[in-house]
Amino acid sequence: MEYSPEVVRRFDSTRRAGELKTGLAGLVSGEAEDRTLGVWVRFQLQVNDGIVRAARFAAFGCPHTIAAADCAAERLEGARATELQALDVRAIQRELGVPVDKLGKLLRIEDALAACGRALPRP
Amino acid sequence: MSAEIYLDYAATTPLDPAVAAAMRGCLEHEHGNPSSQHAAGRRARALVDTARAEIAARVGAPAERLFFTSGATEANNLALKGSLLRGGSLARAGARAHLVTSTIEHKSVLDSAHALEESGVAVTYVPPDPLGRVAVDAVERALRDSTTLVSIMHVNNETGVIQDVTAIGALCRARGIRFHVDAAQSAGKVPLDLGSAPIDLCSLTAHKLCGPKGIGALYVAAGIALAPQMHGGEQEHGLRAGTLATHQAVGMGKAYALADPAREAPRLAALRDAFWERLRAIPGTRLNGDPDRRAPHVLNVTFPGAEGESLRFALRDLAVSAGSACAADSPEASHVLTGMGLSDALASSSLRFSVGRFTTEAEIEQAAALVAAAVERLRACAPGAPGWCTT
Repeated sequence: MEYSPEVVRRFDSTRRAGELKTGLAGLVSGEAEDRTLGVWVRFQLQVNDGIVRAARFAAFGCPHTIAAADCAAERLEGARATELQALDVRAIQRELGVPVDKLGKLLRIEDALAACGRALPRP
Repeated sequence: MSAEIYLDYAATTPLDPAVAAAMRGCLEHEHGNPSSQHAAGRRARALVDTARAEIAARVGAPAERLFFTSGATEANNLALKGSLLRGGSLARAGARAHLVTSTIEHKSVLDSAHALEESGVAVTYVPPDPLGRVAVDAVERALRDSTTLVSIMHVNNETGVIQDVTAIGALCRARGIRFHVDAAQSAGKVPLDLGSAPIDLCSLTAHKLCGPKGIGALYVAAGIALAPQMHGGEQEHGLRAGTLATHQAVGMGKAYALADPAREAPRLAALRDAFWERLRAIPGTRLNGDPDRRAPHVLNVTFPGAEGESLRFALRDLAVSAGSACAADSPEASHVLTGMGLSDALASSSLRFSVGRFTTEAEIEQAAALVAAAVERLRACAPGAPGWCTT
């Protein structure tokens, strides 16, 4: 398996892996998995005033999944919570140079963010 | 970036300098065809004969019962197909041939068995127990009146578990069933005496023993007939056509002459055990395979919660395998570990470490530290992961 320099960089030094402190105001969480692909992803977002103030991910998956989740978490910080589902994992896949056959794993990132969206308090 | 630490001796080994020197001398000065009758040919033949004798001495076989092949994969193919097929058809026309093997054999045996099934051979695949052992009574239960061949490996290439080929061979001999052993992973590392063991066919290779790639041999006991699977010459008594590669044979002979289980195995076992002592300090780590019946050079360990592909990439300065090198391109979990009952997730969170002649204690210490750091980092990436990731 080949890994692009960007995947290697993000895998070697993930910046947003881990958990946010429990009890934080505006904390929402969502996760998704595909056991047949051996991937599980969870996002935790701190959302205040409709803006994602902090994002963390947890992932049991391949280097591509971890790198893409790190990239997604980075992009979410500062974004409007209503735009969670606008995050384009296919664009991240192309930018990071992730092989197309890994897209099935990466799409769990979208699913996890959709779950976060459903957990947001309704206005 | 640190220099790579090589802990993949079960996949292949570096060439011993003495082997390289012997091969170089042959390549530079002995160009004769061993089948030729002139002086150059006779010199090459003498070198091949010496190599054959060196290999034979190591495995306790008569030299004339060893036939050179391109490696253990070809030897396994020849043993299975040569026993059961004649010219691509069943050897015994109208008969229902039956092969017994295990689910944890090397791909070269399993794929040969699958090919034989397509030719009409019935095959029974015996599963191992949770410790990776192929039970003698499980093999016995698989035997039928039509069983013509049993093929069980001596040392499993992924777990290092030593199978009881003596007992299985005795079982076969008592019933007049041919018995093949794939000894690619054991020859020269674990005592093997083909002179006394009830084994009819035995596959050997050079490159697992600090010898060259591209050469192996098949031991064929006296009275055992095989149909050649390659045609085009009378080399190797017509069993394996093709000009003998003198330098390869010389390299294999030298490798087997240098290998001495009595001398080398204790050192390898000490390195392996020292490595395990360090790795077991990582919480949740588990050893795969029977701890009491293992070859000295292989250690297979599961690190629950550390995803396999990420673990291997995090350890890219460490030359280790997830399983068989011959299946390294496959994203599927090891068929050996899942066959022993591990889940796909745990099987893929497992690594095979294998030590060898040039492994040092310092490398073991450094490798253990790298593994511990990688496992800790990946687990920290997946806090709260569901149970299937770790069980």
